[in-house]
Amino acid sequence: MFGRGRKIAPYLFISPFFLGYAIFFLYPVIQSLQLSFYRQVGLTNPPRFIGFDNYIRLVSKDALFIKALTNTTYYALGSILIIVPLALLLALILHSPKLRFREFFRFLYFTPNITAGVVVGIIFGLVFEEQYGLINNLLLAPLGLENVRWLREARWIMPAVILLGAWKWTGINAIYFMVGLQNIPPELKEAARVDGATRWQVFWHVTLPLLRPILAFVLTIAIIGSYNLFAEPAILVGMEGGPNNAGMTMTMYLYARGFRELKMGYASAIGYSLAVIILVLSVVQLVLIRAFRED
Amino acid sequence: MRKLKVALLFLVALMLLSAVAPVAAQELELWAFVNTHARWFREQAERYAEEVNPDFSLNVVEIAYGDLHDRLLISIQSGGVGAPDIADVEQGRFGSFLRGGGDPGFVELNALLDEGGHTENLVAARQALYTSKGSVYGIEHALTPVVLYYRADVWEGAGFDPGEFVTWDDFVEAGRAIVAENPDVIPLHIHGGLHELLLRQQGHDYFNADGDVTIDSAESIALMDWLLELKDEGVAGDPPTGDALWAAFKDGTLISMVGADWYGGFFKDNAPELSGKWKAAPLPAFEEGGRRTSVWGGTGAMVVKTSDHVEEALSFLEFSMLSIEGNVRRFELTTLWPPYIPAMANERLHAADEYFSGQDLGAVFADVGPEAPPQWQSPFRSQLNGLRTAAWQDVIDGNRSPEEVFTEIADTIRDEMEFES
Repeated sequence: MFGRGRKIAPYLFISPFFLGYAIFFLYPVIQSLQLSFYRQVGLTNPPRFIGFDNYIRLVSKDALFIKALTNTTYYALGSILIIVPLALLLALILHSPKLRFREFFRFLYFTPNITAGVVVGIIFGLVFEEQYGLINNLLLAPLGLENVRWLREARWIMPAVILLGAWKWTGINAIYFMVGLQNIPPELKEAARVDGATRWQVFWHVTLPLLRPILAFVLTIAIIGSYNLFAEPAILVGMEGGPNNAGMTMTMYLYARGFRELKMGYASAIGYSLAVIILVLSVVQLVLIRAFRED
Repeated sequence: MRKLKVALLFLVALMLLSAVAPVAAQELELWAFVNTHARWFREQAERYAEEVNPDFSLNVVEIAYGDLHDRLLISIQSGGVGAPDIADVEQGRFGSFLRGGGDPGFVELNALLDEGGHTENLVAARQALYTSKGSVYGIEHALTPVVLYYRADVWEGAGFDPGEFVTWDDFVEAGRAIVAENPDVIPLHIHGGLHELLLRQQGHDYFNADGDVTIDSAESIALMDWLLELKDEGVAGDPPTGDALWAAFKDGTLISMVGADWYGGFFKDNAPELSGKWKAAPLPAFEEGGRRTSVWGGTGAMVVKTSDHVEEALSFLEFSMLSIEGNVRRFELTTLWPPYIPAMANERLHAADEYFSGQDLGAVFADVGPEAPPQWQSPFRSQLNGLRTAAWQDVIDGNRSPEEVFTEIADTIRDEMEFES
């Protein structure tokens, strides 16, 4: 009795997590995979098996899906090419021992990250407003630049969302990089300097390679985060993505098809396509920066 | 082991207690997406508790337009989890509930309406929006007659009386004169619903009575071309949206609004400082003797099938929405013109409205109400609206022609209809 209890008890203790995981995560994940091969429309209609029809329609006939994919990729590129380098730069500045009030700045850069996406979306709606907004009136007008129709003209919508993304994510990414920088032994840099390396050479040949694990982490998070982008553009330009659907991301598209038009089968197919895309991109990225290489 | 037993006993006792706890007050939940409706529902609930059922209380929850419908769909689909007892459903989104041709998840109201003798008291064209295959699921809040709201001080100051306009040509001519004086002013702003409601004024719509999509009809395209011509001339303009829209009303950029009865309440709520400056008039017609109004929007109150209080909810709706007092009060609080015929003649609908320069606003609605055109429901209306919204700015900016865009939208919807059939 005693012995058996001891064998079971640990499993009982950890079971709540696994039960919750199975019910609220694993089951829907499997169920939606099955659903993606069915046509299910409306509130009470029984699903009908249609094989790969949903997937075929997605890639061959659904221009909006392709548009959502392009928009999301646009944001992801912005996130990787603008936000991540910006974060690294910020981390290098904050890492400087000469900087005062460093803790204060760290706190400051972290706050956007804990602000709800919806709140951010609403505030930035005012920031980007065409006639009365902050950017047009306080930044562009003093420079003599014309008003930019941020949220009304298709080509400006994604840049606006990337600007918002930069505000929100640069800080937290900089903090990740700072942790990485702190873990680099100063002796290595000193040795390089003694050997006559310039500051740039030290950064390029010593600091950056040693930051690789952090970089891999930040990039993976950036890719996943980008392809899951939802709340900010949805609030900024509406669930249909605004003019020309320029702000419609893949998750917004999934939401619109699934929860507005109740096409659960089709939405499941969108979800699985999204999962595959994220998986492939993450692996490609990890291979590219050789994250798995043994040093 | 004994401790465990005690704990178990305690637990069982607790469960029994909560199970037999007396159900004292009946609290029902209602979802609304505009504060005008919410305000009126709250007042009606108090009146209902006083006059009919003292145990009744209504929790009116205000949820943003998009969220309300999305959440309602999901909770109905998941068997009523978290669903309210009563919900306001906007006509443009009701189609989503009919998608796939199944049961929309609301209580059928035919018995209530027929047996109570209410069916003939309601305007049939409005009720049609909430009817599918002979089953009625909602009761309309407003007739939604469209009128021309205008800044009386500006138009009259320039020597024009929009109340005297007979055709749109009169409006355009006056608009030209005003713009010539002050180029910053926009006499007619092309808001997101303008094309749709003017199309209905002409007797057409985005869907016809058979449910076919007709946004690409010759009339629809010609109308949009006309609006764009007006925009090129400067008589019509592209308004800002959201909060900035109200800023543009307040700073005098926008001096008119082609809007339905409910827009009157929006003005009062969003631009109280413009009180006394506005008036309303019948819409100018497209040709002399033509229809002087349209319909725009509309919301039906519905009882969710999974509610534990269906009877009470129906009784409350009958009390509030199918009574003269309820309908008259709604107009007084929100400017929604009753779709309930017995209430239309009530003299309280004709009180002087301070916000609208002391005008008898009800007289304008009563005047044009009988001409209100029908509007046809479609399970695809919500999706069409989404596509149209996305393409709208390109059309307004002249990047793409109305013909190209409307044809593309219609073809997409036809393809969807086929895919789902």
